[in-house]
Amino acid sequence: MAVNWAERVSAFSCRPSHFLSGTNAEAFLAELLRELRDDRASDSVKVLMLFPLCEHPSLLCPSDSIGEETALELMSVFLQCPSKSLQLRCHLLLAITSVIVCTSCVSSHTPVSVDFIDLLLQLSQNNSDVFCESSPQSIRSIACDSLRELEACCPGLLFQHIELLGGLRQQETTLLHQAYAGLYVLVLRNAVYQLTQETEAGAEHLKALLGANASITWEADRFSCLANKRDLSVLSCLIRGPMGFVPTLKTGPDCKELRSVLSSLLEESYLLTPLCQAAMLHRLTEVVAMVPGVHPAIFRAQILRLLGTSQVCLLHTTLLMKYVFTDSLFSAEDEAFMLKRLVVLAQHPLLSTSEKLFYMDCMLHFPENRPISCNDGDEALPVLLTPQLASVLLPTVLNESFTMLARFNMMSLVYLDEVEGGEEGDGKGLAYLNEHLNSLLSIVRSCASRDVVVAFFRAAFLYLMYFCHIRGYSCSLIEKLCELYLHHTKLAPHLITLINHIQNMFPESDWAEDLLKALQRAITQSLLDKLTLQDLHFHLKMLARIAQEAKIPQGSTLKFLADIITSTFSTLCTSDWCLGNSILEVCHRLLLHPSLETMLVPLADVLQHLACCYGDTDIQDHACLYYALLTTLSREKLGGVFTRGKTEEGQQVKTRTLSTLVAESEGLTKMLTVQQSHEAVFSLNKVRTEIQETKADAESHVHSTLGEANATLEVYRAQFKDPDFASEIILNYQMDHINGHNPYFEQLFSIHLHCSLTDDNFEKIDDIIIPYLFRDRPSPVVKLRMKPRRPCPTTLQVTALFTTQDGLSWHTVLPDIHVDFQYIFIPLPSPQGWGRDSKCHLFEQLWNEFCLESGDSASSLFCCQVKVSLVNIVNKHLSSYLISDMSQEEEYKVLFFFPPQFHVLLRIRSDEENRVHFKIATDNWQLLHNISSFLQSITSAKEDTTE
Amino acid sequence: MSLRALWVISHQSGENATVRFSRRFSTVEYRAKCLAGSTYVEVPEEGTVLQLLLTELGLSDPDKFYVPLRDDCLHRPRLPALELHVDGPGKGILWPVLTISHGPLILACLCLVDCPLEPRPPLANLFSVSQGLTLLRGLQTFLLGSGSKADTEGLSCRLAMLPSIMLQVCPLGTPLDVPTVATAATPSVPIPAGNQKQPAWKTGFHKGRAVVNVAVKETVRSMQYGQRSRQDLWDVYGTVTCKCEVEGVLPNVTVTLTLPPNGSPLQDILVHPCVTSLDSSILTASSVDNCDGSAFSGPYKFPFSPPLEPFMLCSYTSQVPVPPILGSYQLKEEENHLRVSATLKLHESVKNSFEFCEAHVPFFNRDQMGAVEMKVSSGQLDVSKEKNLLVWSLGPKFPKSLEVTMEGRITFSGPTPGPTDPLCTELTAYIKLHFKVPDITLSGCCVDQHSVQVYSSAKPRISTSGTVVQ
Repeated sequence: MAVNWAERVSAFSCRPSHFLSGTNAEAFLAELLRELRDDRASDSVKVLMLFPLCEHPSLLCPSDSIGEETALELMSVFLQCPSKSLQLRCHLLLAITSVIVCTSCVSSHTPVSVDFIDLLLQLSQNNSDVFCESSPQSIRSIACDSLRELEACCPGLLFQHIELLGGLRQQETTLLHQAYAGLYVLVLRNAVYQLTQETEAGAEHLKALLGANASITWEADRFSCLANKRDLSVLSCLIRGPMGFVPTLKTGPDCKELRSVLSSLLEESYLLTPLCQAAMLHRLTEVVAMVPGVHPAIFRAQILRLLGTSQVCLLHTTLLMKYVFTDSLFSAEDEAFMLKRLVVLAQHPLLSTSEKLFYMDCMLHFPENRPISCNDGDEALPVLLTPQLASVLLPTVLNESFTMLARFNMMSLVYLDEVEGGEEGDGKGLAYLNEHLNSLLSIVRSCASRDVVVAFFRAAFLYLMYFCHIRGYSCSLIEKLCELYLHHTKLAPHLITLINHIQNMFPESDWAEDLLKALQRAITQSLLDKLTLQDLHFHLKMLARIAQEAKIPQGSTLKFLADIITSTFSTLCTSDWCLGNSILEVCHRLLLHPSLETMLVPLADVLQHLACCYGDTDIQDHACLYYALLTTLSREKLGGVFTRGKTEEGQQVKTRTLSTLVAESEGLTKMLTVQQSHEAVFSLNKVRTEIQETKADAESHVHSTLGEANATLEVYRAQFKDPDFASEIILNYQMDHINGHNPYFEQLFSIHLHCSLTDDNFEKIDDIIIPYLFRDRPSPVVKLRMKPRRPCPTTLQVTALFTTQDGLSWHTVLPDIHVDFQYIFIPLPSPQGWGRDSKCHLFEQLWNEFCLESGDSASSLFCCQVKVSLVNIVNKHLSSYLISDMSQEEEYKVLFFFPPQFHVLLRIRSDEENRVHFKIATDNWQLLHNISSFLQSITSAKEDTTE
Repeated sequence: MSLRALWVISHQSGENATVRFSRRFSTVEYRAKCLAGSTYVEVPEEGTVLQLLLTELGLSDPDKFYVPLRDDCLHRPRLPALELHVDGPGKGILWPVLTISHGPLILACLCLVDCPLEPRPPLANLFSVSQGLTLLRGLQTFLLGSGSKADTEGLSCRLAMLPSIMLQVCPLGTPLDVPTVATAATPSVPIPAGNQKQPAWKTGFHKGRAVVNVAVKETVRSMQYGQRSRQDLWDVYGTVTCKCEVEGVLPNVTVTLTLPPNGSPLQDILVHPCVTSLDSSILTASSVDNCDGSAFSGPYKFPFSPPLEPFMLCSYTSQVPVPPILGSYQLKEEENHLRVSATLKLHESVKNSFEFCEAHVPFFNRDQMGAVEMKVSSGQLDVSKEKNLLVWSLGPKFPKSLEVTMEGRITFSGPTPGPTDPLCTELTAYIKLHFKVPDITLSGCCVDQHSVQVYSSAKPRISTSGTVVQ
C-alpha cells in the first residue's frame, strides 16, 4: 500500500492535470481523507499524502465549501492524532493552512478558519509540549509559522492578538523566540500600515496598538482583514526607493513605545538566523519608513556589523535600508564604502558565481544617496564607480560565459560613459573590450563549440549595442566576422540573427549593411570547387538574407548562382531538393529586389536553367513558375503577388493559391499538414424515410402477369444470375454539425468520408465525397451503399477529411454508425411488372420449399400478446414488406429479402384474445434469432399502445 | 520575501536531466496571484519547468547547433535570475527564477515579487532574491558538501532527507534557516536555566571542558605569463576557521589576528554573522582601493559567540610582494616531437617544507603521448593513465639552490586523441602547481594562542595553526 501511495503522490505532483484526467479531484480528495483517517496507515505514508493538499489545495478543493469541509476533516484528524506523531501533526497544520488560505476561507472568515486560528494560538502558547521543547521543528514553531503565513496572506487577521504575541515574544527564551519575533514583527508592520490608511490616526493610536495604557478602544472588527477591502497594496513591499511613495503616520516626535519595541527587537536580532534576521530588519525598515517620528538612526548600532557580513541576505537588507533612508542613515563615506564592498564581493574568490553576479546587479542598481536620474528599471552606473575602481571586473576569457557576459555588459557601460562624456580618457578601456572580443573570436575560430559560439555572439551584440558608432573598431569587426564565417559557415544563423537585431536596434546605422556587403563579396569570390554541400547551403542562406537589402547590388549574387548551377560541382547534386530550394529562395528574394530591372536577363537565365536542367521535378516546376511570373508580370504585380504570400496568418489571404510560391515558409508546412481535431465536428444521423416502393406502383401491374404462375419461381431466381442484382442496401444519413461546437468549423468544404468495417460481413464501402457542409444551410444527405456478404447487423467506424475556410486540412473521427437488423433487409426484389398475385404465388412456393427444412432452411413460430390491433402493427412496421392485400385481415403474408439472397417469410394471424401468431419460414436459420428480437420489439413498442 | 516554488534537478552534463525534488508553496502562490493581478503567470508543471530551465541554461537539444530560443544573441540569460518563457494557455514570463548550477545539480527557485511586475523591478530591489540565494546555497552545500566531488550515493541519501529538512528550514515558503547536517541530528542537552535567550542558530549546548580551535589558511592564486607585455598576477586570500566548545547559552570569545611589524594590512574582511561587533577601522582596507601606507594594520579583534559546529570566522585578502614560487615553461615544436623545459624557483622567504608539492603539465588538442624522454633535477615524474598529463611530484623540499628543472621531449604518437580545450591550442599551454606548506602564512597573519580570550568558567584549551595552499 505504501509503495502505491508514494507512486500515486509523486505522479500527482509531477503532472497534476494528467493525473486528475485519469481520476477526478473529488474522488482523489475523498481517497486521501479516508486514508488519513485509517489507523493502519503509517505516519510516513500519511505525511506523504498531505503533500498534494499542501502543494495544490485549489486543484483538490475547487470550491470554498469543499475547502471548508476538507479543512474541518483535517482538523479532526489533527485532534485525534497522538502527540508523539510529531511530523504528521506538523504537516497537518501546514496542509490546513494551505487549504484555508487558497480557498479563501480565511478572507471570508468562515467558522473553520476562526477555529483554526484559535487552535494555532493555543498550540503556540502550549508549554507542555516538553517532548521536543528545544527542537526547532516543534509543533509550536510550526503553529507560529502557520499564523505568520495566515497574516501574510490576509493582513490584519491577527491584529487583535498583537499584545499577546508581543508578550510571548518577550518571555520566550528557547529557540521559539525566533518564530514569535517573525510573527510579531509582521503583525506590527501590517497594523502600522493600517493606521497610516486612517486619516484621524496618530500617536495615541500607535500607543494603544502597542498596548500601553490603551485610552482608545478598538472596534472588534476594525482590522478584521485588510485584504477584504481589496486594498492589495498592503501585501506589497513598501520599499520602492527614494522616489517611491510610502504611506506615513503622523505621530509627532513622541513614539516612545514604538521606539522601545524596535530597540528590543533590534537588540535581539543578533540571536536570529541570518535569514530571519534579514527578514526582520526588512520589516522593521518598512515600519520606520511609515513612522517618521522614529529616526532611522535607530538602526545605526547594527549597521557596522551588517556591513562586514559575509551573508548575502544581510548585506542586501542593508542596501535596501539605504534605498529607503539614503543620507538620513548613510553618510557619503558609508556610500563609498558600500560601493567598494560590492566591487570586492563581485569578484571575491570565496563567493559562488550566483552571489557574485547578484552583487554586480546590485552595483547596476546601486541606491545612491543623491541619484541623478530616477529611472527605476534601467541599469545605470553609480557616479562613484570610476573606470579605475571597476577595472577589477574586466572580463577575461577564463570566466564562464554568464560571468563573462555580465562583466562585459558592465564594463561596456563604464567605458560608454568615458567615451560619451568626451573625457576621451586614454581609450584603453574600449581597446581592452575590443581585444577581449577578438580573443573570443579567435577561440571560436579554433574551436567552434556550441557554447563558445553563443557566448561570443552575445558579447558581440553587447559590444555593438554600445559601441556600434565607433567606426574604427566596428569596421575591423566586420572583416573579422567575414573571415570567421568563411572558416565556419555553420555560423550563418548566428550571424543573420546578429545582423537582424543590430538593424532593428539602429535603423540609421549602416554597420549591418556593410557586414552583409562584405559577406556577399566573400561568398561570391569563394572558389566553387572547394565548397562542400553544407557550405553551399549556408552560403545560399546568407545570400538570401543579403538579397533582402534594397541598397546592396545583387549582380555578384546572380553570377554566383549561375556559376553553381552550371559548374561541374552542381552536376554532383543537381537532384538535391534542399539545394534547389535554397537557390529558389534566393531567386524569390531577388524577384522582390528593387533593382530587378537591371538583372532581368541573368535572373531569367538562372530560372530557365533550373526549369530545364535541374534534377528534381518540384524545383523545375517552381523555377518554371518563377520564370513565367518574371517574364509576364510587371514589377508592381510581382511584388504584390509575393508580398501577399507573406502576409500574416489570420488575415484571410487566400494562402491556398499562393502557398506554393512561398518557399520554406512556416505557412507552407502548416498548409501541407493535416490538422487533427480532438472532438467530433459533425455526425451522421439515420434518416427515417419509408422504403421507396409504394403500394400504388405494385397494384398498377396486378393484371398484367397472370397466367405465368408456375414459372414465377424460375423467373424470380433467374434475376440472381446477375451478381449485382439486389445485392445492395442503401441507407440514408443526414450530416449534421454537432451542437455547440467551435465557430471555426461553421463552414466545411470537400468532406471526404471514409467508413471502416468492424467485421467481414460486408464488402468494403467506397469513400463518399460531400462538397460542403454549412451550419446555416440544410444538411446534406449521405447515401451509404452497403453490400452484405452475410445478413448481420454491424457497426461502422467513420472518419472524415475536410477543409476549413482558411484552407487548412483537418482530420476528424465521427461517432460510430450502428447498422441495426431492421436496416439490412428490403422488400421483395420482384421482376418489373409483377403483380400481387405473382408475388403471392412466389411466396407460397418459397414457403413450401423452406418448410421442408432442408439445408439451412428452417421454420419457426413466434407468439405474443399485443395491446393494439394487429392491423396497426402491420401498417406501421410491415406494410412495405406485405405480399398479401392489407384488406385480407385473417392472414398477412410478409416477406423480408436479405441481400445477397436470403429470405424470411411470415404468416401472421391474430385470435380473438389479441394473441398474434407469427409463423416464420426462412432459408437461413441463423436469421431466426434476430427476427424474433425484431418481432418482439415491434409488438411491444410503446408507440403502438399510444396510437 | 518568500518563494513560490523550489526545484532540485540532477543531470549529467546537460543530459538525462530529471527533477529529483520539487516543492510548491501554495500560500505564497496565492499571494503572488493577488499581487500580480492580470499579469499573473502560473507555475507550470515539473516537466515544462525542467525543459524551460535547460533551454535558458543552454543545455537543451545538445545535438542541435543553433536553436533560436536558446541561442539568440539578443537574449542574454542573466544568472542568478533567469526568466522562463512559458508557452501555451498560461502564457507569460516567469521571473525571477534563481538558479545555481553546480556539478551534477541545478537548484532553482521562483521568488515572490512583492511589487508591481510592470515595469519590471530591478533584481536588487527584491528582498526575496537574497533570501532565495541564501537558501539555494545552503541546499547546495547540504547536498553536495563543500567540495565538488560527486558522491551519488550520499546525494540520493541527502535528497531523501529533503522533505523533513524543508519542514524545518522552509515550511511555508519563507526560508527560516539553511539546512546543515546539524539540523538533521539535533543534540538534546537540556537548556540551562536563565533569562538569556537561546540563539536560533545554536541548537544545543556544550558541556565539559572548553576547547577552542582556530586555524588560519591562506590560499595563493597566481598566473605567470613570463612576458614583458603581460604582467604576472597573484593574490592571496585567507580564511580563519574556528571550532569552539564552550559552555553557556551565549558565551563570549574573542580571537585576535596580528600581523608582523611591516606586514601589509588585511583587506576585504568578511565576518561570520556570529561576530557581535566590529571596529570600523577593521573594515576600511580594501583591495580595490589605492593602498594607503597609514592604514590600520591590526591587531584585528573579533568578539563573537560561537555556534556549536565548526565555522568560518572571517576571511580576508592580502597583498604580498612576490608569489612564493616563480616558474617558467617553454615549449618548442621540433620535427615530430615537442621539446619541453620548465623551471620552478622557491622564494627564499617561504619555508622550504611542503606537505606536498605537485606540478601538473597537461597537453590538449593532441594525440596521446607516445615516447616521453624527460629529466627532472629533483622529485619524480609520472605519466597519467590517460597519457595526456605529466605529474611532477617535487617531494617535501626544494633542493638547496631552491630551484628545480624539468627538461626533455615528448612525441604524441598515441592511438587516440587526447582532451580538447578551446584556449590551449598549438603552443599555448600551462603548468599548474599545487602545494601545501604547513605552519606559515604568506601575509604573516597569525592568531596568538594567548590572544584568544574566552569568558567562561572553565579554563579553555586553545590551539592555533596556519597553512598556505595553492
